Amino acid sequence: MKPDRQTLDLFGFRTPQAEAVAPSVAPVAIPVALPPAEMEPEDDLDFVEDGGDPDTHAGVEPKVWTVTEVNRSVKEMLEDFLPPVWVSGEVANWTAHRSGHRYFTLKDDQAQLRCVMWRSDARLLPIDPEDGMNVRVFGGLTLYEARGEYQLAVRRLEAQDAEGLWRMAFEKLRKKLDAEGLLDPRRKRPLPRFPRSVGIVTSTTGAALKDILTVLRRRAPWTRVVVRACRVQGEGAAADVADAIRVLAASGRVDVMIVGRGGGSIEDLWAFNEEAVARAIAACPLPVISAVGHEIDVTIADLVADHRAPTPSAAAEVVVQDGVVLRDALRLLPARLSRSLRGAVERRGRRIAEAALRLERGMRSRLRPLRERAARDLERVERGVGRRVERRRQTFATLGARLHALSPLAVLARGYALALGEEGHVLRRTADFPPGQPFTLRVTDGSVDCRAVGEEAS
Amino acid sequence: MSDEGDAAEPGLERRLKRLEHIVASLEADDLDLEKALSLFEEGVAHVRAAERILAAAELKVEELLQGDRTRPLENGEQ
Repeated sequence: MKPDRQTLDLFGFRTPQAEAVAPSVAPVAIPVALPPAEMEPEDDLDFVEDGGDPDTHAGVEPKVWTVTEVNRSVKEMLEDFLPPVWVSGEVANWTAHRSGHRYFTLKDDQAQLRCVMWRSDARLLPIDPEDGMNVRVFGGLTLYEARGEYQLAVRRLEAQDAEGLWRMAFEKLRKKLDAEGLLDPRRKRPLPRFPRSVGIVTSTTGAALKDILTVLRRRAPWTRVVVRACRVQGEGAAADVADAIRVLAASGRVDVMIVGRGGGSIEDLWAFNEEAVARAIAACPLPVISAVGHEIDVTIADLVADHRAPTPSAAAEVVVQDGVVLRDALRLLPARLSRSLRGAVERRGRRIAEAALRLERGMRSRLRPLRERAARDLERVERGVGRRVERRRQTFATLGARLHALSPLAVLARGYALALGEEGHVLRRTADFPPGQPFTLRVTDGSVDCRAVGEEAS
Repeated sequence: MSDEGDAAEPGLERRLKRLEHIVASLEADDLDLEKALSLFEEGVAHVRAAERILAAAELKVEELLQGDRTRPLENGEQ
């Protein structure tokens, strides 16, 4: 019975090597573990160099291959003569080995294909796909010699919709950072309004740096710029960017930092979607402006940064104030200062005047009740005094009448007379009347001039 | 080496902030005249200094190298 076999034509082409090995016939037939029923061998070819049938070449010793030799040549054929292909299918049994290699099976409803992704390729995966995911892979067929199993060495793996894996990785990291609170808007720090020095973390060869410097030169040429160069794409870029952020912050030379790069494919921008960069931004002691790609590209770095600029140029616009506006504002300031000073003086004067007025009004309103009370008191006093005076007056009248009764004039009316000396004093005794002494005799209706004529009668 | 000894001199940010404060104080109500006058003088000095800073014509671009050294970045001009 002939061994199960098939030709390379299964894969759709013939190889020169196969012809060299067996010039008379078609390419080498390779025994593989596929059901013979499905195979239609087109050519007969044996593992003997003369191409003969073991049964028909009695007497000639056939060349006997070792298993290793067979597998090696099959492997060489697979690798050397099959161009890499894109294959689509569903991921199953995804295994991430400790070595960094990934092993999985790609399947559709009828068949399975063993796949391997070496560490160097797997490292570029944004995230491992999940079992059951529809993906497409690009790679070359090879043979795992130890098992004699052929497999696809996958160099690239994408979700069926090209950006699916990237989105998955993005979402996963976004959720993780969000859960830690790193995306909280309250964490966002205000940018310094007039930074003395602006730091830039980007590639020194990229368009981003050029764009940023152009804007800074136009708007704020007094600013100092410190660039920390780093790779912004490819393997290791994320670690490089993260390191640059830390080094620039630690240098103490800048007040604020722009981290970014120009536009590119999602893979080109990927470093800015990696955890290392996100954490470096979150831990940065200075405010960070992210400026990655174009307007539509939103990266994890954008979400963590204190400010997201849609482009590097926009970052430069936002990080410094426009010199023209600033200079205009400054020009107006001295006038405003003196106006305020004058205002302060005038306000002061007005305040003094107001205080004086208030003082006067205050005094007046305080005095009014006092004055009113004084007036009332005075009136009361006057009224009291008046009454008292009247009473006195009546008393006097009464007393007057009584006095009148005692008056010497009233006595004179009864016939008595009063002798008054020259000085008007009353002459009471005989001694007051020496002879010849003139005196006045006061009677009830007038006076009579008199003169004493003699001695005392006795 | 690139610090040019202006670290002690307040920068634009500090000066403009101070200016804002001065204007606000002067425009506020209670301020004795002596204080107002000294604020005014200080404000004018800040304006002059800020104008000097803004007068710088050329953007200075340096690259931060290993070991905290810097060098001028010429291709910043390109």
